[in-house]
Amino acid sequence: MISLLLIIPLSSAFLIPIIGKRIKWTGGAISSLAAFALAANSFVIISNLMKYKTLLYKFGAFPPPAGISLIVDGLSVFLLITVNVVAFLIALFSMDYMKQYTDRWKFYTLFMFMLAGVNGVLIAGDIFNLYVFLEVAAIAGYFLVGFGVRDEELEAAFKYAVMGSVASIFILLGIGLLYSYTSTLNMAEMARILPQTGTSSLVTFVSVLFLMGFGLKAALVPFHSWLPYAHSQAPAPISAMLSGVSIKVLGIYALARIFFNVLGMTPAVCFILIALAVLSMVAGSIMAFGQSDIKRLFAYSSISQIGYIALGLGIGTPLAISGALFHLFNHSIFKSLLFLNSGSIEYAAGTRDLNRIRNVIREDPVTGYTNLIGSLSICGVPPLGGFWSKLIIILACIQANHPILAFVAAVVSMLTLAYYFKALTPALFGTHATAGIKASGRKISFAMAAPMVILAILVVISGMMLLPNPGRELLKGAANVLQNGRNYGK
Amino acid sequence: MLHNPLILLIAAPIVMGAICVILPDRIKVFIKIAASFVCLASFAGTIFVFLKKPLVYNYDSYTVLLADNLSGFIAAAIAAFALLITIYSFGFIERSFGRYFGYVLMTLGASMGAVFANDMIVLLTFWGFLAAMLYLMVNLKGTDASAAAAKKSLIMIGGTDALMVFGLCLVWSMTKTFMMSGVRIPLSSAPAYVAYFSLAIAAFAKAGAMPFHSWLPDVAEFAPASVTAYLPASLDKLLGIYLLARISLSLFAVNGVTNTVLAVVGAVTIIFAVIIALVQHDLKRLLGYHAVSQVGYMVLGIGTGNPIGIAGGLFHMLNHAVYKSCLFLSAGSVEKRSGTADLDKLGGLAKYMPVTFAAFLVASLSISGIPPFNGFVSKWMIYQGIIASAGPKNPLWIVWLVAAMFGSALTVASFMKLLHSVFLGRPDRELKDVKEVGFAMSFPVIVLALVCFIFGVFAFILPLPVLIAPAIGLSIVYLGSWSPVIATILIITGITAGIFVYYVFRSKKTFRTVSIFVGGEDVETLGRISGTDFYDTIKDMKALGGIYKKEAAGGLDLYNITRNAVYYFTRQLQHLHNGVLPTYLVWCLLGMIGMFLVVFLRWQW
Repeated sequence: MISLLLIIPLSSAFLIPIIGKRIKWTGGAISSLAAFALAANSFVIISNLMKYKTLLYKFGAFPPPAGISLIVDGLSVFLLITVNVVAFLIALFSMDYMKQYTDRWKFYTLFMFMLAGVNGVLIAGDIFNLYVFLEVAAIAGYFLVGFGVRDEELEAAFKYAVMGSVASIFILLGIGLLYSYTSTLNMAEMARILPQTGTSSLVTFVSVLFLMGFGLKAALVPFHSWLPYAHSQAPAPISAMLSGVSIKVLGIYALARIFFNVLGMTPAVCFILIALAVLSMVAGSIMAFGQSDIKRLFAYSSISQIGYIALGLGIGTPLAISGALFHLFNHSIFKSLLFLNSGSIEYAAGTRDLNRIRNVIREDPVTGYTNLIGSLSICGVPPLGGFWSKLIIILACIQANHPILAFVAAVVSMLTLAYYFKALTPALFGTHATAGIKASGRKISFAMAAPMVILAILVVISGMMLLPNPGRELLKGAANVLQNGRNYGK
Repeated sequence: MLHNPLILLIAAPIVMGAICVILPDRIKVFIKIAASFVCLASFAGTIFVFLKKPLVYNYDSYTVLLADNLSGFIAAAIAAFALLITIYSFGFIERSFGRYFGYVLMTLGASMGAVFANDMIVLLTFWGFLAAMLYLMVNLKGTDASAAAAKKSLIMIGGTDALMVFGLCLVWSMTKTFMMSGVRIPLSSAPAYVAYFSLAIAAFAKAGAMPFHSWLPDVAEFAPASVTAYLPASLDKLLGIYLLARISLSLFAVNGVTNTVLAVVGAVTIIFAVIIALVQHDLKRLLGYHAVSQVGYMVLGIGTGNPIGIAGGLFHMLNHAVYKSCLFLSAGSVEKRSGTADLDKLGGLAKYMPVTFAAFLVASLSISGIPPFNGFVSKWMIYQGIIASAGPKNPLWIVWLVAAMFGSALTVASFMKLLHSVFLGRPDRELKDVKEVGFAMSFPVIVLALVCFIFGVFAFILPLPVLIAPAIGLSIVYLGSWSPVIATILIITGITAGIFVYYVFRSKKTFRTVSIFVGGEDVETLGRISGTDFYDTIKDMKALGGIYKKEAAGGLDLYNITRNAVYYFTRQLQHLHNGVLPTYLVWCLLGMIGMFLVVFLRWQW
């Protein structure tokens, strides 16, 4: 069952080049089916997890720490569900959206590799496997960003690849040092050994390497500069994957898993995390004001919103962690929705320039209204999901006696509202058409509309995660894993 | 849960509104009937709640919703306005019926929620939702200008909602509960002040007090008139001042400092907005600036801190909602029939639209504070409140009093111009075919004008003792004596005598009326005397001229100032993002160096 999370995407990545290369439509169908199976499997896993707190899969039946293990606990399953549901909807969207590209089977193959990597990171029980899966997802990402092979797309892919590799090298260096220090790669075992050895400057050194490496994957300022390029130049489904899934799993999840469960959160790490978070929130939103490319706008807003998540984790109280995880969930839904919107706008209007897009809401109501719902949510307008997670984070800041941070979070929320609606209102409601949305004459199909509508419905009802069952249990289960600290895997 | 009237009052309009939004325009008759039925039922329901108050909705011994004296009367007023606006809209709205009436109903339900909320999270939820509703309703017009106005309103109101979140979280940290009833926070610490002013700013932005006002004139000019009458003119005032009253009267124990701040905001708002209103050329924009100016009286009234001033402020809030929605609805009728709201093109409409003119006249007299209408009574009470607050601790009271009275005088001047330019004078030739509006549109206007009269004449019998005095829960001591009924009788006697004298002594016509004759030229093309430049001379005054220039350039607008500041930082950051990969790698390196410094030098909080 846990192993299916890897078997499904990897076997489809194997099947698609064989079948999809000859019969064009099968590539999209296989990847959508595979993503659906993954999502369904995640729900099966959660129903099992209710019985056993932690699920363990041993490769070749070797017991950990000697053997390689795959572990699913509350945090993993929370993200597994988020990631796989979002990935399924993105796969559905890309079936029709990707028809504008040639060699689609390569896209779907890489997409499946990316999904395999992301799922692998979430269930990896030892730190080296985590790194391997992280690289699988990241390298698939480098290729996918440059999938359109125009100059600027290749430039973006190159920047992403260079910076991503720098981060990976530092992560690998950190893992190597940690391995030499603890003689194990199993994270549960490491978490057991590290406290016994006392504090050491080596661990401190490694923690900085990890903060930089995973911080770059999560696009925290000042390690964010690849993101506006990669997110804006990738095909829209990949932008949605990168923003809704990748930066969260490869960046935030890995960061949280390693620091909370393995290395332990020291005050210095908390301080750094909060500082990076505040920088990201403020700089991301201020930069977003200057953007007229709709995808760059969303990209900078991702940086700013990732800041909220990091802020919650950095504060580290139970309320703050729940808020951060809830915001992660929300952001993954509404940001993938927004990137899919940007895709369908670009598909119909033939441009991403916000100065030229007009009248979306009347000419393409599905895109227009779903985009409005997503934007209102990310700006924290009640009763949509984003409001609740921001509220919890602000409340947690005040509860933890950091009123200044709460104020910063409130001001950034204000800025978010300003830059979103400054840019989107003319595009959605304005009529002065320099390039109406139907410039290309293409109409979005049902397969493109359905995922956006489903995501918009999720955005509207995601506030219900705070109701007792099952939402709050899921959230609580995930937050408990982080609060339990180094009792990981027990 | 559903048998609780408060829950029903909130849920029914929202659910029905959500249904209306997705209904197609084809079945507009059904939508209209459904909307009016829900509004009527809500109005009946709020009357019931008002009579049965206090009512509560408890969840696990936790009071989530609460209808007390203050929220009871404001809810009834909200439902009444929703009903009148819905009736007016039958004649006014021509397309997007489903969405329009759906938004009206959802706004009604959310306003009920905001007013009845005793839980701060519930308050926040409905409060923020209303900002989105205003945005959507303004956008129904579907032009670039309306989109810009909608954007500005959402950014200003929604942005201050974020401050409200912050303020309420601070309140929670001080009281450890989300319930607002039974809480009274002394303003003795910095967080308490920050919390109070965060909430006050949210209230100011909603009500449109300076310096958070600038969305209001834009919305007034570019939104459909019924939307302006519904939200910025009535509901937003009721809600904004309700919040200000809630935090000033019960949530916080206010002191001299906050009262002085409120008084400054109030006085500045009164004077500056009315000065800017004087020279406007657009009927609805001019009314929009007056909607800002009048907020000043309410804020000033609450800022006096004594019962009569607060009662005056709350009464003025109610009165303002009545006459200002009357004015906006009349303006909507004028615009609908004549096709323009430009004062240069309007004129002489009294002949063609007598009912609208009569209602507009009554509302104008009321807003100008002329007895016996309701605006006079509430302003009179606010003046008394200011005088009562006089004392060695409050030496500035004379400034507030002068500001309030001077503002009232300028309001009269401004409405003289408005009445002349729209209804009197010679009509433009293009306006010859203008006809009076139908019953659906004139009925709400007549009702509102009558309310202006009734609330003025019977102020001490009907509205003050029934609605206002219980709401503030303090006994009101009136200074001086003012008996509106006797005064009204005297005024009516005087006017009757005047008419009598006029007709008796007008034995012979001593003049004749001819059309203007200028050497055979067609005078109409040479220009009518429009009232629009009555006050253009004050633009030439040195001190005021500067203000007008700045306002016209947007220099007095907090929104623009903030935007320019943010864009300055954006440009600085854009310089850093130069697109060169090595630069970005250097940042990563610098970031790492910084982190090493933190961990090894053990920098902490």
